[in-house]
Amino acid sequence: MTAKQRRRAITRTATLALGLIVWFVPPPDGLTVPAWRLFAIFATAIVSVVVDVFPILTASVFAVAAAVLTGLLTPAKAYAGFANSTILLIVLAFLVARSVVKSGLGTRVGHVIVSLFGRSTLGLSYSIFLVDGIIAPAFPSNTARSGVLYPLAFSLAEAGGARPGEEGRRRLGSFLMFSGIVSLSLSSGLWLTAMAANPIGGEVAKALGVQIGFGSWLLASSLPTLAAMVLMPPFLYWKIAPELKATPEAPTAARRALAALGPLKREEKIVLAAFVGMVALWASAATLGLDSTAVAFLGLGVLLATGVLTLQDIAKEGDVLATFIWFAVLYTLSSQLNELGFMGFLGERLAQSLGGLPALLAGLVLIVAYVLLHYVFVSQTAHMLALFGVFLDVGVKLGVPAAPFAFQLLFATNYFSGITPQGSSANLLFAGSGFLTQGELYRLGALTTALSTVLYLVVGTPWLLLVAR
Amino acid sequence: MRSARRAAGPWWLALVLTLVFLGPLHGQEPADGWRTFEGTWSAVGRRQTVPTETGRPSVVTALSGTVTITSAAGLAAGFRAEVIGFDDGAGGGAGRAVWTDSRGDQVFTALKGEPVETGRRVLGTLTGGTGRYAGITGEYALTWQYVVRGEEEVVQGRAVDLKGRFRRAEAPR
Repeated sequence: MTAKQRRRAITRTATLALGLIVWFVPPPDGLTVPAWRLFAIFATAIVSVVVDVFPILTASVFAVAAAVLTGLLTPAKAYAGFANSTILLIVLAFLVARSVVKSGLGTRVGHVIVSLFGRSTLGLSYSIFLVDGIIAPAFPSNTARSGVLYPLAFSLAEAGGARPGEEGRRRLGSFLMFSGIVSLSLSSGLWLTAMAANPIGGEVAKALGVQIGFGSWLLASSLPTLAAMVLMPPFLYWKIAPELKATPEAPTAARRALAALGPLKREEKIVLAAFVGMVALWASAATLGLDSTAVAFLGLGVLLATGVLTLQDIAKEGDVLATFIWFAVLYTLSSQLNELGFMGFLGERLAQSLGGLPALLAGLVLIVAYVLLHYVFVSQTAHMLALFGVFLDVGVKLGVPAAPFAFQLLFATNYFSGITPQGSSANLLFAGSGFLTQGELYRLGALTTALSTVLYLVVGTPWLLLVAR
Repeated sequence: MRSARRAAGPWWLALVLTLVFLGPLHGQEPADGWRTFEGTWSAVGRRQTVPTETGRPSVVTALSGTVTITSAAGLAAGFRAEVIGFDDGAGGGAGRAVWTDSRGDQVFTALKGEPVETGRRVLGTLTGGTGRYAGITGEYALTWQYVVRGEEEVVQGRAVDLKGRFRRAEAPR
């Protein structure tokens, strides 16, 4: 056994032992044994992924097997995530994105963007933030928006010569993929209507005396979010260090490549029409009462019926199945923790423990704790529903100004989405692109979330004290 | 996702969790047979509705969540709470709740009042229990601070003014 294998075996044993210890420790007063033991399983799965004991798929399947075989969850509850419409939407978006690449439309769009922004790799990242920031207010589902942004980022990576399997040029792809994750986390916080949980948070805030509308949200979010959007690409550029940096000749080369491609081919026209139709329906889904997943099913149906995508193409997308399984499992376990009262207990007890702190310190601790607790959530909406009202109520009782504090928590509900790959369904397409390792996803997620937290606190707090009353 | 390499662990999360589990609970000595308690109630679940002739829907609600006791002697610091409620759409609401503590001991409750909506009031009667709560009786009231709907028809609510009193069968009258 090599030293590396020995180290891995020790880490694996230690993680399992930690899980068993938590399992057998009596639950804290206020939690039932099933809630505590489900937390033991969930925490062991997440820790085993973070310390690289198992890939996320392996950890997830062990976790759900343990939860059902020990009788903590019924099979019906444990497998409920596999029928969740948001998770199905991810699977469909993966397949639709495949058609964008296969038809050549992605390459064409990539060349168009490179011809406009491609003088530097940094410019490509900014182009992702720009497109996302503009389309975001029309997309209440950030998962659906990731289905638009991912083919764009993937095509840009390919246009830059990056390939998932080629280590020499992989970091360009990593840079652009994580740009997509961070961009979604920030654009969702820029507009009230850019993420499904934002208006729901507004309702909770209203019940606690804080009025939030489209305009007041945009005013409040504008300065800290735009600051984060400006600073995040250079930060990622510094941390990931893509091989390709300055590309002054790229716009000219892209224009030449576009000329060589000639007019749109039949497949490209079909994909373009299907995509435009899906985007239009997604954007008007809330107004027309349409289900975003059904729209994606319709789009996929068109692509299959026209032969742009074939059953062989779908059979090749093995990563989709892996993503579907691990995310559905973690989503379910986290939801069940909430239903068993674990999340509510966590919020209420944390809130109680802060009694007596000065208002400023209490507000700071609550915001940081709110962000960190996203490690145990697999849905932004579920996190917001479980903890936002509790934290806002406690903060206000401790003297934290209500409106600025409500905005800080609601912005955090968006920017913490990248803290883990499972932190939002909007991350999954990028996480499954093949360009990012599991370690990179957790490391970059922690770093960018930390930077966002600092930016929103430092830039956002004085701004919110000025504009949010 | 590609194979992994070591990533930074969420050690700060451990600090937060420690804070949570060390949180204080202030007890209150009983003055007579009756003991008072206060707390909060967070709940998540689903609602089903059917229309009625009154224009208000008839609602079945199933919720689970946490009752956190902030002030009491003789009750656990918190319970898992499960509720099933029915509102007939004509002003009559009824339900049952069970609170389960970390030992598995339970408190049973009959509920009446308004539907589970923001600002609505609910009255509960403690009708008995198991283990250390055997023979418990009492009453409580709460108002939903907020109740909102999330994805997949999930509803989530919180009550912060849970207040009531209880006594056990063997307590002096």
